[in-house]
Amino acid sequence: MTDPYEVLNIPSTATDDEVKKAYRELARKYHPDNYHDNPLADLAQEKMKDINAAYDAIQKQRSGRAASASGGSYQQSYGGYQYQQQAAGNPAFQRVRMAINRNDLGMAEQLLGQIGDHSGEWNFLMGTICYRRGWLDDARRYFQTACQMEPGNAEYRQTLNYVENNRETYRPEGYEVFSSGCGGNNMCARLACSYMLCMGLNTCGMRVFCC
Amino acid sequence: MFGYVRPSAARLTDEDKGRFGAAYCGLCRALGARYGTAARFILNYDFAFLSILLWPQDEPPRLHSRCIAHPWRGRDYFPGNAALELAADQSVILAWWQLQDALEDPGKGKGKYRAAAAALRGAYSRARHFRPDFDRATREHLAHLRELEKRRCPSLDEPADTFAQLLAGAAGEVGDPVKRRVLEQILYHLGRWVYLVDAADDLAEDFASRSYNPLICRFALTEGKLTDEARESLVVSLDHSVRLMAAAFELWDFGAWSGLIRSTVYEGLFLVGRAVLEGTFQANDMALRIGGRNKEQL
Repeated sequence: MTDPYEVLNIPSTATDDEVKKAYRELARKYHPDNYHDNPLADLAQEKMKDINAAYDAIQKQRSGRAASASGGSYQQSYGGYQYQQQAAGNPAFQRVRMAINRNDLGMAEQLLGQIGDHSGEWNFLMGTICYRRGWLDDARRYFQTACQMEPGNAEYRQTLNYVENNRETYRPEGYEVFSSGCGGNNMCARLACSYMLCMGLNTCGMRVFCC
Repeated sequence: MFGYVRPSAARLTDEDKGRFGAAYCGLCRALGARYGTAARFILNYDFAFLSILLWPQDEPPRLHSRCIAHPWRGRDYFPGNAALELAADQSVILAWWQLQDALEDPGKGKGKYRAAAAALRGAYSRARHFRPDFDRATREHLAHLRELEKRRCPSLDEPADTFAQLLAGAAGEVGDPVKRRVLEQILYHLGRWVYLVDAADDLAEDFASRSYNPLICRFALTEGKLTDEARESLVVSLDHSVRLMAAAFELWDFGAWSGLIRSTVYEGLFLVGRAVLEGTFQANDMALRIGGRNKEQL
């Protein structure tokens, strides 16, 4: 079995707090929220399993040494990938969802094309197909239409928020820039400073070969 | 590609800077060795980054030598490897077809394109021989773009997809299936991001010359700049592509290149995207001058 400390990227001499911190950082990185409808979600899920197993193993190893060792309940909150499934409704949409889950996007699109009623769910599923293909602008437009048609649908709203909001996404410690837009706070000033730093670096006269 | 892909200098260690400089100089030398001095002028950061993503596991030691651009102190560089050769070949093919595309556009001022095409003709013949599949894919990509241009395609994603697919194809030769999937995702969204950032960068010029630009069609623009609403939509789209690149990056161990790639996908691309949208991006002035620079300058 792989050394659990290696999985968490810490030395075996790490304190309980350091173990917990390393676990928390990795769990945040590979959390399902960062891989929603992502074609690589299965790889992230494998990483998450390894991290959970390593954390469990370390907790077990240490449980005899310190009665107060904890973390089990905390770990539960990162328990696994539970993708939301829509309750049974129109069976035609169910077939589209199944095709999307198999990543058979061509079939999913074909099935959607056979449905004349372009309801909120139709737009949501078309948006999901676009998203999986990486067609993010079209995906967002379909999700927006779905939300306008069914404002109370939590699944549609949650997905649109995921596409539009960068703030809550994982980023490494110390990284504060999370958008190419202006956040309306002092982010603009920080970006301007960073860019000026870059501008200030240019002292090379020969651009093409400049490194 | 166009030189938009930059790491964030503030996040790089001296070792990262040295490595990046050595890869950049290695690509320059690979272009020179395979295609002659003229081809070295198409060198840019985007293809240096591509070679880093495709870098083989075993790494040769860096060499040091003087060159035409650094005749006195010289620079460290990585000797040629499969990733540098691929990046060099693709640079030449893409540059050639972009020149042909520019020459087909109506309008004046084609002298510089004709001169560049003449200088690159021999290099292109050799590159096409090395990478016939990439050459064919590039031609198909440009033909598809012409078709979208004719019908004034109102989608951002459709034209961006053709360039994104082209770049993602570079991962096709990677043996490890997990690494291949990770790279396909990174390269797809890198290509998408580069295409859209370039469209934003060229917006005013394209509007003035009435050339096709996907942003004009998508947002029905009536002047050569983005409205607030259009800009917000574009930012969401660009940011999400960067976010998907970062999520993919975390699923493979890129070894010694990790710091450089991390600084690019978590910060560098946001900074460049913002500079382009603000109209302050200048390819020449924003150069990071990473390899061989004095520490005090940073």
